[in-house]
Amino acid sequence: MNSDRGEMSLIEVEDGQTGIIVSVVGGKNLTKRLADLGLVSGTEIKVIRKALFSGPLQVEVSGSRLVLGRGLASKIMVLSNGRK
Amino acid sequence: MAENNQKINIVLAGQGNAGKSAVFNYLTGLHQHIGNWAGKTIEKREGTLFYKDHTVDVLDLPGIYSLTTYSEEEQISREYIINQQPDFVINIIDSTNLERNLIFTLQLLELGSPLILALNMVDLAKKKGVEVNVGKFQEKLGVPVISTVASRGLGMTRLMDKVIELNGVGKNNHMVPEYGKEIEGCIAELSGLLRNSEYRYPVRWIAIKLLEKDQEITKLIEKNQPEIIERSAQLTEYLEDIHGHDSSIVIADERIHLVAHIIRETVKFTPRAILSFNEKLDSLTTHKFTGYLLMTVILGGMFLSVFVLGNWISDWLDGVFSSWHSWWESAVGTTFASLLGWSAIESVLALIQIALPYILPFYIILYILEDWGYISRISFLMDNLMHKMGIHGKGCISFVIGFGCNVPGCLSCRIMESKRERFITAVLVTLVPCSAVSVIIFGLVGKYVGLLWAFGLYVFAMVVIFIAGRLSTKVVGGEPVELIMPMPDYKTPHMRTILVQTWDALKEFIYIAAPIVIVSGVVIQAINLAGWMPAISSVLSPITVNWLGLPAITGILLIFGILRKELILVMLAAFLGTANFGEVLTAQQMLTLSVVSMFYIPCVATISVLWNEYGWKRAMAVCVLEILFAIILGGIVSRLLNFVF
Repeated sequence: MNSDRGEMSLIEVEDGQTGIIVSVVGGKNLTKRLADLGLVSGTEIKVIRKALFSGPLQVEVSGSRLVLGRGLASKIMVLSNGRK
Repeated sequence: MAENNQKINIVLAGQGNAGKSAVFNYLTGLHQHIGNWAGKTIEKREGTLFYKDHTVDVLDLPGIYSLTTYSEEEQISREYIINQQPDFVINIIDSTNLERNLIFTLQLLELGSPLILALNMVDLAKKKGVEVNVGKFQEKLGVPVISTVASRGLGMTRLMDKVIELNGVGKNNHMVPEYGKEIEGCIAELSGLLRNSEYRYPVRWIAIKLLEKDQEITKLIEKNQPEIIERSAQLTEYLEDIHGHDSSIVIADERIHLVAHIIRETVKFTPRAILSFNEKLDSLTTHKFTGYLLMTVILGGMFLSVFVLGNWISDWLDGVFSSWHSWWESAVGTTFASLLGWSAIESVLALIQIALPYILPFYIILYILEDWGYISRISFLMDNLMHKMGIHGKGCISFVIGFGCNVPGCLSCRIMESKRERFITAVLVTLVPCSAVSVIIFGLVGKYVGLLWAFGLYVFAMVVIFIAGRLSTKVVGGEPVELIMPMPDYKTPHMRTILVQTWDALKEFIYIAAPIVIVSGVVIQAINLAGWMPAISSVLSPITVNWLGLPAITGILLIFGILRKELILVMLAAFLGTANFGEVLTAQQMLTLSVVSMFYIPCVATISVLWNEYGWKRAMAVCVLEILFAIILGGIVSRLLNFVF
């Protein structure tokens, strides 16, 4: 999307860094499902690690840890705010 | 107030990993009944508890994250709470993940169900620096809150005392989650329109669901009061204009804000600076290198110990059972009827011989790994590879189980989210070489051709499964569901829960497998005693002899092998009159026979699970396909091996 604002997809965030969710580029079902888990715009999300061979991402959102498939994570756009 | 022996219905609701199973097992112990929800491949767990002159029926709803209709589990849970109107809904909350869990709690409150909250795993939360002020919490939500540590049984009596105390007192005075002004405005307007209509659902809840554009509810209202749908469409559009995204997200957003507010007022966080042991273990077991290394060691260790122990027990049982056999023959004789009778008994013994040495230890280790939190790490590590086969990381677990026995492997596919995933995974699991197939591989190829060849067969099986996975994705179609899975913290496995789970799984295996195994055992023996086997083997000989290059009797063996695959090896010895297969079979024949045995059909016990879970048409289709596949593959392998030997 608008890359000059520092907006990127979650999979571009480096391990150990955090970002603020800006939007979810996906269908209603997906967005809703993520929202039920607390992943909505404005939420801070930390990428703990990514699995090998472009596998899923382990993330932390408000104290809980989740695993998100790579394809799904690529649809979550964040504003990176660096290491925390 | 409470009469003697009053009946109370409670349901346990909560997210995955919140400790629902621990609570359920603690309350109901061995008074459980596990089945499927009508027409669904989703497990239904019910149980009974007798407590202080009350009979409490407990239903464990599937672990879900929301009350929408995203998945069958969510739909089932929602319908059950609304239609069956349980006396109490016990919401089990993972205190270490309050935020996520409370979003779900708000949805239960919206539904207006009589709620009791069990704030579970408070011990772990404390370790993480999370302390909940239970009094304030209770006040905020307006429902009773009990802190529990279900794995150790803490708080369980207080929970049940609360249920009994409130039983018959009427609905508790719970909080109605209130959202932002403009949303409340919309809810109020829709509620007004709905006021005089009669639905099973609470009016406010319908209003919220309409604003969320819930498909089921929208359909229902559209049928009866289309004018309301018109208005709600305008209102959602209005909300979407203000907020700039879908109305269902607007409301989800509101819930998250409300939860954050509740947590701010009731929970004290003490940040922990040091990396906890848990986190160190987490990074080791999910690490790009050590993660895979540890997984290989842990799974390898698991298989090795199950096989070594299992073979030992199985051999011992063999001795015991064969002494029973000679006793039976001397006591009952060797008439037609007595031989048939023995084959029925033998089928039961065969089941025991699979269940006791292999399935039992396998399940115990598996549930230990699961309770500890390791299984989620495997899913994390394997997700990518599984994706290539059209399923996601959780499917890997069914494969791991399948190596022990295909039956629990197929049953475990229930953890997959969609029907499509469940079926693909189950079919692939039937191709995984189970412990019975391993007996053939090692007893023939390992012993007489070489261990490397035996391991080669496993690699070959994996390749076949991988290709089959890719193909089935094409055949079944659809997109794989993306993995969304909470990563639980590691915790000390709880033995009682593990044993109860193991017992349930074992019971289910026997219930599903026993009838069909016994019947087919007797039928095949009857055909044998009628003297039709030579005829059958000569009918099959174009396939077995001409195409596969095997001795004609293998036709009979492969028929018996449907009962239990290791029978192929056992009966081979009986028919050939020697257990030294090296003398009577060539290396090429042994390899071909092993390949055919691996894939040619699921054993009857596995077929019965497929039948039970996916219907007889699909079960038969899988059998026919696999028979054709194995025969074609076996012939090709046999010809290719010509170049080697």
